[in-house]
Amino acid sequence: MRSTLALIAVFTLMAIAPRVGEAQSSRYEGKTVTIVVGYKTGGGYDATARLLARHLPKHIPGKPTVIVQNMPGANSLIAANHVYAVAKPDGLTIGTFNRNLPIAQLIKVEGVKFDMTKFAWVGSAASESTVLAIRADLPYQSFDELRKAGKTVVIGATGPGANTYDFPLLIKELLGVNLKIVSGYSSSADIMLAIERKEVDGRAGSYTSLRPFIDRDLVRPVIRARATEAGIEQLPVDEDLAPTPRAKAIMALRSVPEVIGRPYVMPPGTPDDAVKMMREAFRNAIKDPELVAEAKKAKMALEFVSGDEALKVVKELLAQPKDVVDEFSKYIKFGE
Amino acid sequence: MIDALFEGLLLVLQWKAFAFMLLGIGLGFWVGLLPGLGGATTLALMLPFIYAMQPVEAFAFLLGMHSVVATTGDITSVLFGVPGEATAAATILDGHAMAKKGEAGRALGAALTSSLIGALVGAFALALAIPVVRPLVLTFGSPELFMVAIVGLAFIASLSAHGARGMLRGFLAGGLGLFFATVGQDPQAGIARYTLGTLYLWGGLELVPMLIGIFAIPEIIDLVVRGTSIAGDVPPGRLNKGALEGVKDTFRHFWLTIRCSLIGTFIGIMPGLGGSVAQWMAYGHATQSARNAEERKQFGAGDVRGVLGPGAANNSKEGGALIPTVAFGVPGSSAMAILLGGFFLMGLVPGPDMLTKHLAVTFSMVWTIVLANVITVVACFLFLNQLARLTAVRGHLLIPVILVLVFIGSYTANNHYGDVLVMLLFGGIGYLMVVGGWPRAPFVLGLVLGKIAENYLYISVARYEAAWLYRPVVLVLLGLALVVICYPLIQARRAGAKKDAHA
Amino acid sequence: MHSKASLGLGVGIMILSAWGVISALAWPWKAALFPLVIGIPIFCLAATEVLWVLFGSTVRGETMDFQLSTHLPEQVTLRRTALAVGWMLGFFGAIVLVSFPVAVPLFVFLYLKLQGREGWGLSLIFTVAVWALFYGLFDRLLHLPFPDGWIQTWAGLT
Repeated sequence: MRSTLALIAVFTLMAIAPRVGEAQSSRYEGKTVTIVVGYKTGGGYDATARLLARHLPKHIPGKPTVIVQNMPGANSLIAANHVYAVAKPDGLTIGTFNRNLPIAQLIKVEGVKFDMTKFAWVGSAASESTVLAIRADLPYQSFDELRKAGKTVVIGATGPGANTYDFPLLIKELLGVNLKIVSGYSSSADIMLAIERKEVDGRAGSYTSLRPFIDRDLVRPVIRARATEAGIEQLPVDEDLAPTPRAKAIMALRSVPEVIGRPYVMPPGTPDDAVKMMREAFRNAIKDPELVAEAKKAKMALEFVSGDEALKVVKELLAQPKDVVDEFSKYIKFGE
Repeated sequence: MIDALFEGLLLVLQWKAFAFMLLGIGLGFWVGLLPGLGGATTLALMLPFIYAMQPVEAFAFLLGMHSVVATTGDITSVLFGVPGEATAAATILDGHAMAKKGEAGRALGAALTSSLIGALVGAFALALAIPVVRPLVLTFGSPELFMVAIVGLAFIASLSAHGARGMLRGFLAGGLGLFFATVGQDPQAGIARYTLGTLYLWGGLELVPMLIGIFAIPEIIDLVVRGTSIAGDVPPGRLNKGALEGVKDTFRHFWLTIRCSLIGTFIGIMPGLGGSVAQWMAYGHATQSARNAEERKQFGAGDVRGVLGPGAANNSKEGGALIPTVAFGVPGSSAMAILLGGFFLMGLVPGPDMLTKHLAVTFSMVWTIVLANVITVVACFLFLNQLARLTAVRGHLLIPVILVLVFIGSYTANNHYGDVLVMLLFGGIGYLMVVGGWPRAPFVLGLVLGKIAENYLYISVARYEAAWLYRPVVLVLLGLALVVICYPLIQARRAGAKKDAHA
Repeated sequence: MHSKASLGLGVGIMILSAWGVISALAWPWKAALFPLVIGIPIFCLAATEVLWVLFGSTVRGETMDFQLSTHLPEQVTLRRTALAVGWMLGFFGAIVLVSFPVAVPLFVFLYLKLQGREGWGLSLIFTVAVWALFYGLFDRLLHLPFPDGWIQTWAGLT
């Protein structure tokens, strides 16, 4: 009798079990998954999304088509608002936006209609290391020498909110380095030209974008932010040199989003199993040797940061005490 | 260097590279033609496909596509008065006017030939400039670029009608353009200026919908009112023989075409000036070639020189834009920024190496531009006259298609309905300007130069304080700006004096 | 007509620049400089133009720009202009109400039939051709996001 029951149980289980997997693949089979990018075609976020879009399908059960749609505007605030409130939480929409959006929420930028903690986090596809690089023919070989410099060092920047502006600003204000920030260049490429012209002495920016110029010996990195990459680990970190805990907290606040350099989220209320499945798909896609090869060719470095970790980072960021946030807002505005 | 020149040519003529170039040309033809398909966007979309190609093939494809966009953009401008690309807007003023007079074939012939010459000049400049490019680009710092913007703004005077009233309206239009350029987040203090509380306006007003609105909408309204075909009452027989006439025109005004090509190349070399500036400065210069007030009135009503100038400039600027991209790794235009991505994909590091170790690859790019343009122009000429016949088609058939293209063209800028609204709004403004007799060209100049002027001014002052005013090139450019402003006044006076002498 | 348009533009610019200058006064000087340097002069210039239109001659300045057709009687011109504007606004309204992909064939068909007075056959074929081109290129190939129209959302369709 017991064996019959057991047999019935086993058969029933065998009947149901594939259904569970099937439920997953039937959710995605023949469907289209859309990645909404908060920027125009051609930028870094867009390139990463398109790279992922090409390799995700084989890692999602049901092998759906994955397409990319651009929804630029307001430094991806518009896209974030859309994915938060308008997109349906059916597991078919993913959003990727500006990594600084948690800061926009923190300093209460007008127009923010989302709560970063309520998104269903898939993870981050890369971390962005920021460095400050100065012209190689300047006599300052290290950050210490720069600090002791008598002459003003001119740093070119694009505008408040971009790391070209914010990173040196904090170094100037909080670490007391004699920097003059000249802002208004239309792109970081223009700043490089200004460096060649000796109009400015350096710029801050993502290590990836500065790499070609560092390799060419035009500029030399002297200090970096928290996130690190191969080649710059030995540089001093701005937070470590902060004179007061408050200064350190402010620098940390600026740097934290870099760990979730390319955030990917799904609308709040997306079913848990879809989120879990998508996280797995992302993890596998980023490890996929074909993707790695393509990324290498395009000089992109992808690495997977899990959704849980990303969410943790965001929550920590949003939990900062009011006085830190207030002083932070004095320096940092939301921009790029 | 000569052997690199030939090596470059041979690289392009390999059958695979050549085939890809043809593919790129085919694609670029439609991208330029259709408003809403931007050259830069399509380049970005094509990047993934070139992973599997060799460097020369990839560049043949990308550059082939890119070189053609500036040429075919002029076609929609001439035929329908809709800018196929932002860089083709100036061609509308005289090009479409010619189409309405039944001279579409001639306008197209002139636009295509001047585009070819412009492209050749640009490519030539790229080849020639290689030894001198570094000192040239390095001399033009932010103060100099600010003065170039001022020279550009000085052209507002040339683009206005003569007389005090004309100047007043011209400067009002220019000022309005400058004003609209300030909308958006400013790069000094991060203030959101004039955004009316919307997120949409954070980045400022988008150029393409505004251009489409201000130029295309009044034309469309007029077409509905007239109720005829674009060419109106012109007997259909006349339309076809135009193309050759247009080619002859280009050579009749050869030096003007060359000068405008040089203007375009120069603007292209200076990164940060933006692609739309070149065509308007060329147009302004072309109007200066009018010898008297009678001739000046023809501009905007269908003077072929108004087609030659922008046609040449918007192609030559692409060759110019390649120069800082290749020599410094600094993109000279938004399309170049994407091309740069292509460089990295190919393992090439733009910079001094491209001018020494990889000189042959650089020359292969020059040849690609040359060949792609020649092929495009020849191919277009084959069915130019068929294209011109579109202007004889009943207006009612064309209008819905044009409107769909106009609406979609505005929408694809940001995938936001706001852009369509902006297009309609500026369509209204453009219509009022046309009815009221206000010139639209100065408005566009103000719009495209506003941000550039503001940013470079701040950078110059922040970096050099007052010393930037004494730099030699700055003073030269200031003089040039004064010449440009005074030119129409001198012309008017001379014409007046001649009239008195004859009286 | 043309002086009315000129007047309209002039007054419009006066209002716009006045509002712009007043808003700019509240900003830090770096952000306010350019708006002020531009806004104040164009306010004065616009005022000059307005005064000139109201009290000056009605001679039309020759601009180097296209002139609208004047060969039809004014009534006809006005009516047709209003129609043209109506069609354009209607198209936009349709896009908002029923979404781009539906509005396009709807607009093309209605325009051809009502304004163009073309026959059924031509209208239908043309509409299908335009729609196919539009759909094929912008939806299938480029995957442009076209939000649902209000009517679709209200009716609960997708």
